[in-house]
Amino acid sequence: MEILRSAMAGTLESSDAQVTVEPGEGGIELELSSSVMNQYGRQIKATVLETLERLEVKDARVTVVDKGALDCTLKARVECAVFRSCGKSAENIPWGGAVR
Amino acid sequence: MSDTLETINSWDKRAWAQVDALLEREGIRRDGNLDYTCGIFDDDRRLVATGSTFRNTLRCFAVDSARQGEGLLNEVVSHLTAREAERGLFHLFVYTKAKSVKFFKDLGFYEIARVEDTLSFLENRPRSFKNYCDGLAKSRRPGRSAAIVMNANPFTLGHRYLVERAARENDTVHLFVLSEDESLVPFDVRWKLVTRGVADLENVICHKSGPYIISAATFPSYFLRDEAAVIEGHARLDLALFGSIAPALGLSARYVGEEPTSQVTGLYNRVMAQELPKLGLSCVIVPRLETGGAAVSASTVRRLIHDGRMEEARELVPATTWEYLASPEAAPVLEAIRRAGEVVHY
Repeated sequence: MEILRSAMAGTLESSDAQVTVEPGEGGIELELSSSVMNQYGRQIKATVLETLERLEVKDARVTVVDKGALDCTLKARVECAVFRSCGKSAENIPWGGAVR
Repeated sequence: MSDTLETINSWDKRAWAQVDALLEREGIRRDGNLDYTCGIFDDDRRLVATGSTFRNTLRCFAVDSARQGEGLLNEVVSHLTAREAERGLFHLFVYTKAKSVKFFKDLGFYEIARVEDTLSFLENRPRSFKNYCDGLAKSRRPGRSAAIVMNANPFTLGHRYLVERAARENDTVHLFVLSEDESLVPFDVRWKLVTRGVADLENVICHKSGPYIISAATFPSYFLRDEAAVIEGHARLDLALFGSIAPALGLSARYVGEEPTSQVTGLYNRVMAQELPKLGLSCVIVPRLETGGAAVSASTVRRLIHDGRMEEARELVPATTWEYLASPEAAPVLEAIRRAGEVVHY
């Protein structure tokens, strides 16, 4: 999926994550800050990248401010931000599946 | 107990009184220029947290001392960033008291400047400021370098005089043109007139000032009327950032035109004269070029255009600027100046 414009999903409240996706400059650029960076930084990063890959996002600047979100929450926030960024959020989205 | 987060409407006097009281308890005075404010109210309709925006900056935060440590600030910042995103603003800045910095660092903000351990300035992109400085460093030249920052609204003989003086006294002059599009003459025109106006001076390099020099984020009161104390605070912040920019270009001085009329620029110059030496830079204040006993200024040129006295305006601008003003291309800009209520910088 192509990131057409900047979009955001999620909040900064405890157990959530705020995900921003913006058009990239060739490739995925991930900026992560997390309240549990030392414990789960690597896993969060992997989850975000995996979700982007499933959505076939190849060119984006992604910023994640994590406040201890579970994996399912992270995935949902990344998906939502990506859908918003390509104007798909108004359509009938099969959440959790790859959308083309 | 359930809290509700609400927009504070401009007409809601009772809510505003609560906002002001809460800010005051935290030792903050509400900014004159805010474009959005929200608050969290408890069951008894008491305001327990508030935060505001002005364009791409988040500011005027306070949380009731009895309710701190519950994550109310996170809720307010979430709401404000989501709202900023709705209007297309993603690169955000935060003004806050230095002692609150740690809370914002937990919310994905990175500190880029601090004023005397009281005020802190943060942004939500970890490398943006560094990239900006690295970008400038590419045009760094050996020898003695100086900087000039100008709005050039529009570029006059006075600007040209200032640049010539700096170019004579330095090996390289880095000339920043304010890229914030808040002036009667739009940025692309100001940029064109400056670059053409100094094209013959080989040691002058033009830069777009970007978000870190006199922008709506660093220096909102430059563009919108505010009180002297506020202007001074903004000026100090702007110069704290300039202190980090200067080494990228190896600057040793900043040249400024003496300011006889504008309150903002006058205050800014005064703060510069105080602060720049502390940053290891000399502040060279150059007396204005005068013609017929009056200082040449862009404000005067705008006033003359406003009054339809084009031939007199012609006397105050270089040929490159006049060429533009006399062209059909300039018609909408001239029309905007003629129709503007206030053409002189306050």
